Amino acid sequence: MRNMENVNVIIADLSPLSRFGMISLLRQLNYPFSFREVSVPEKLKNIIHKDQASLVISSASFLEKFSDYQIQTMLPGGKYVAKLLINDLPHSQRKFTGFNEIIEFTDTERTILRKLNKTAASLARLNSFQVMPEEISDREKDVLRLVALGNTNKEIAGKLFISSHTVITHRKNITAKLGIKTIAGLTIYALLNKLITSEEIN
Amino acid sequence: MNYQLLQIISRFGIQLGFGDRSIKQVCREYNIDVNFFLEIINSYHDKNYFPRKNLQGFPLKLIIEYLRESHNYYLEIKIPQIEQLIRQLSEFSDRISGESLRMIDTFFHGYIKELQDHIEREEEKVYPYVFSVEEAFHLKKIPDSLVERLGEYSIDDFESEHDNIEDKLFDLKNIIIKYLPLPVDPNLCHAILTELFRLEADLNDHARIEDKVLVPKVRFMEKWINEHHAQ
Repeated sequence: MRNMENVNVIIADLSPLSRFGMISLLRQLNYPFSFREVSVPEKLKNIIHKDQASLVISSASFLEKFSDYQIQTMLPGGKYVAKLLINDLPHSQRKFTGFNEIIEFTDTERTILRKLNKTAASLARLNSFQVMPEEISDREKDVLRLVALGNTNKEIAGKLFISSHTVITHRKNITAKLGIKTIAGLTIYALLNKLITSEEIN
Repeated sequence: MNYQLLQIISRFGIQLGFGDRSIKQVCREYNIDVNFFLEIINSYHDKNYFPRKNLQGFPLKLIIEYLRESHNYYLEIKIPQIEQLIRQLSEFSDRISGESLRMIDTFFHGYIKELQDHIEREEEKVYPYVFSVEEAFHLKKIPDSLVERLGEYSIDDFESEHDNIEDKLFDLKNIIIKYLPLPVDPNLCHAILTELFRLEADLNDHARIEDKVLVPKVRFMEKWINEHHAQ
């Protein structure tokens, strides 16, 4: 996974056997995981808050003492985060919701690996396009040219016959694709890529 | 050993060559508050160790002296170092890429200007204000001029004005990593990048002390002043 940054994984489980087991299974997959183990339920909230995890794996027994609402607010949300539940309380009436995948305590190694792989792959897909450089479109080049030459959003909107709102959207996309935020930085990019010449600036 | 800490030590005025003397001994020689020294060093050493409460207990004078010293370090040492590396970059390349590399040079000067303005504003506007708040708080005597000033400008304004000087730094790194036209001296590029990443990390630690220690401490005293001046 060349294009992926380190993926923070939180393993929340009371049992050390279970935590180490999960880590060694995850290591078999070829992803740049970095692990954080949590063994005390009360600490989970803080650690999630601090660590910006992309993957949270927790056992049912670990979460048992929290209400559904508490779990929902404690675990990170959004589509860039995956949550897995290890169902180590098969006889419990409690149904946990909001998890991408449930791993049964009795699952075979192959089944677990399949489930983990599926989750990791979809995470990689979702996260990698954030860091993968993308070509900017011709329209975005037009906008970039005008930004680099010092035009305001309003002036650009007038020159390209689009709304200011559209200009702002283009600018956001340009910044996301190039990884350049400031006007001075965009100007250099435009010069280096011959979208403008240094005579035009002067 | 965390060699980065040696830089921080020098901000306290401590020079290398301290032999095997203990921290306590060295601090005594340089007339440094040992506890403050340890808290700062530890908070740089371990990002998870951030003794907000302990640090807030120290007098503002110590905290601001430290912040000033790091400002000096950025402007007098770090920035000139990077500036020189960037200049070398354009000197050692051919005519065509030389022109684009000179743009990098200009860009970096734009950044230096921003950083200088930022630091100047803190030292000339924010710190004097902070001291007057502390004085009023300790003497339990609130001059009218301060109340008036508080109405116009409080530490929360400072925090919200705490603008994004890191944006240009962010851009510069990406431009060097992704968009520099060849041929360039790769070793020089790596040297510049390393310095930029270090500067960025250092600035972040610096901002953390401002936001988590200085601002809450002053906010607390402002609140006291606002509550008591009416009586």
